[in-house]
Amino acid sequence: MWILGYFTFKDLLYDRLRSLLTILSLAVVVVSYLLLTSLAQALVTLSRQAHVTNNLLILSANTIDPMDSSLDEGVLQTALKIAPEQIQLAFPILFRHLTIAGQIMQVRAVALEEMSTSVGLTLVQGDWPGGNRQVVVSEGAASLASWKIDSTVNIYGTDFQVSGLVRVDENAFGSVWMTYPEGQQLFGTKRGFQVGYLSLVPSADPESVRTRLLADPRISSGYSVFLEHAFTNGYNQSNSNLLTLSGIMVLVSLLVVTFGIYNAISLSLAERNHEISQLYVIGFTLNKLRGFLMARAMALTLAAYSLGWLVSLLFINHQRLQPSVDLIFQALRLTPSSSLFGLGLALVFAFLGVWLSSRRLMVLNPLTGSDR
Amino acid sequence: MYLRGNEEVIALHEEYLSVSQGEFIVIMGPSGGGKSTLLHLLGGIDRPTRGQLHVNGVDLVSASDADLTRFRRDNIGFVFQFYNLLPSLNALDNVILPLLARGLCWKDSRQRGSTMLEQVGLTNRQKHTPGQLSGGEQQRVAIARAMVVEPCVILADEPTGDLDSTSAGSIISLMLDLNQRLGVTFIVATHNPDLLKQAGRAYQLVDGRLNMLQAG
Repeated sequence: MWILGYFTFKDLLYDRLRSLLTILSLAVVVVSYLLLTSLAQALVTLSRQAHVTNNLLILSANTIDPMDSSLDEGVLQTALKIAPEQIQLAFPILFRHLTIAGQIMQVRAVALEEMSTSVGLTLVQGDWPGGNRQVVVSEGAASLASWKIDSTVNIYGTDFQVSGLVRVDENAFGSVWMTYPEGQQLFGTKRGFQVGYLSLVPSADPESVRTRLLADPRISSGYSVFLEHAFTNGYNQSNSNLLTLSGIMVLVSLLVVTFGIYNAISLSLAERNHEISQLYVIGFTLNKLRGFLMARAMALTLAAYSLGWLVSLLFINHQRLQPSVDLIFQALRLTPSSSLFGLGLALVFAFLGVWLSSRRLMVLNPLTGSDR
Repeated sequence: MYLRGNEEVIALHEEYLSVSQGEFIVIMGPSGGGKSTLLHLLGGIDRPTRGQLHVNGVDLVSASDADLTRFRRDNIGFVFQFYNLLPSLNALDNVILPLLARGLCWKDSRQRGSTMLEQVGLTNRQKHTPGQLSGGEQQRVAIARAMVVEPCVILADEPTGDLDSTSAGSIISLMLDLNQRLGVTFIVATHNPDLLKQAGRAYQLVDGRLNMLQAG
């Protein structure tokens, strides 16, 4: 077996430029596969983590960024009057997108008692904000800004102390949370706020409540009503579609290995027909010749896969180490199972490529190996 | 016989040629006279369309492709005009290829290959690739490769055709020396008249017919 490896190595080394180009082109395919697989797995992970509630949000009509919304207490009272049986609680949220510690983050101010209940924050370390100038920060924000308990967070020139770390849904990956009075004081607002939060009773159907609210001209004339996790639901649906697409693309990308190997071997057979026939003339059987081609293809595939795997690993690790609010990059992983599965598939497809291309060996004419 | 358009061309008529172990036979004749075809038939590279052909007891007419491959591997050494060495391999690796085709182990193959290269005077050129060797040296490697499996006959098709006169003389001397010293059987197709003088038996092959030029 190692004799085959020895001659394969010599052959690849002799034809080094083409070998290198073949390896590089196949490595591109491997990188595509591995990144696609990692992306699909990241999407699955994020979908599983998604915490979906039935609550509603009210914003000013036609606002793209919640920060541009402007509401007052009256709209919450109106909503409560329209659907008193379904809405158990309505409260305001102050919302800003701000650059803090060099990162764009959400700053949210909400009543302390609603943080863990309606909003669904989970305290993972430290305490809820108890005194003046205290905030809790999301795990993502802590990771991005290297914050710990008791770290100082400067917002609008005011220093806040981190009292705790909270786990949040993906909509607020990089977020800083403070009590509503702290927010009012920080942003200098007495009455206005950006988001109205409508907590529904468990039995309520959020879509029908939303329809009912929007049917009332007092709401529809100046406001938009969203399912709190409409984005998440849509996102999960998109993930599902993307996963299906990813699966197809993964197979397609690895199928390219078949054609890559087919082309490489076919070209080799065409260009070096005389040499191969020469081996046939001096006594190598067709099976041995096919074995040589197979070893060559496997060596190319293994080299390409190793290179592609290494590049993918470096890319994913590089992305994960970058401070980013992009959850996808944070969730990317190169798992042993997907790596081995890909390697297995690549070898199978390479085998297929050799099988397809080496069929012409069956009509190999030993006369080609002579001087004719 | 083969077709040139609709015309049937007989490359080689049915002829009787018996060769004994240790003979050195020269086939001469004009280009297109059938010399190469004769060697290809004897070597199991080509098949006759009619007639009988037995080499070392093997019926080459009815043999399958796999049988012919085995026959070539076990019985025949080929030397071609253009050497036909693999450019990616060094001289020693080229020589041991037929041994590896036979399934001989690596160590023994290299030992025998090295000995054979010594026999053809290339002790110090074993690690050189064909691109680093002269034409004469490449042909010596080709002869070593043909001989390494100790075939019953070596078929050489214009072995000096691509060499200058000095190298050609050297290759002729080498083949004759190997024939006399080791008893290797040679059938050589050539235009080179120098070989005729030193050969045992010689034939003229014209229009597919063998005529004896000199008896051994």
